[in-house]
Amino acid sequence: MEDENNTFDPDLIHAIFKLVWTRRALERERNDVADALDCEVGAGTSKKNRQTSANGKAIKLSCELLRIFITEAVQRAATISEAEGASKIEATHLERILPQLLLDF
Amino acid sequence: MEKAMDVEMEREEEEEEETESVSDVLRDRFRLSTVSIAEAEAKRNGMEISEPIVACISDLAFKYAAEQLAKDLELFAQHASRKIVKMEDVILSAHRNEHLATSLRSLCDDLKAKEPQSERKRKKTPRKENKATTSVVHIPDN
Repeated sequence: MEDENNTFDPDLIHAIFKLVWTRRALERERNDVADALDCEVGAGTSKKNRQTSANGKAIKLSCELLRIFITEAVQRAATISEAEGASKIEATHLERILPQLLLDF
Repeated sequence: MEKAMDVEMEREEEEEEETESVSDVLRDRFRLSTVSIAEAEAKRNGMEISEPIVACISDLAFKYAAEQLAKDLELFAQHASRKIVKMEDVILSAHRNEHLATSLRSLCDDLKAKEPQSERKRKKTPRKENKATTSVVHIPDN
């Protein structure tokens, strides 16, 4: 029950990944078209550019990775705000932990 | 010729607008999940968390997911000459942080361990059916 509430929806993460991958595939295609116009060779490139997709378990694992990112951010900020004697996590607390957090992911 | 180019340009612009609105919807859905995760985590730590901070963390995580993770996964899969992203790619994307990589690896093992069980279950059901049929066959014998 708790797990269900506190992880990302795999479908959502998959949709985000798909969006990025389609965008990149389109970009690549466009570059290829430009290349083909330049050197007039370019048959059969569409197959090479087929879009990336993902394994269901890989998506689940990515959900966990993102969940850890969030919990880690909150936990570290909570530690700082506790040290400062505050009861609410504020922007300054997040600012303090941000550099190391971004280095860790 | 020029008209054709214009039409093409317009279509591309429309496509871009469309993907933008799609990504906005995804970003909002992502934020909703983040809010519940972050608030639960803050509660666990006996802390309150203000809303703009959660929104900020959510945007960070979304950017991390969409701009880094997705690209990394695609590149890792391509490097292994695959079109499909596998769990090892996800673990590889966390290679800079040993703790993270280890915990992901253990989760990966858990997921792998779950898989054969479900296959066994699938195998079990036809056996039951076989038993049922044999028992049906046995009844006229009695």
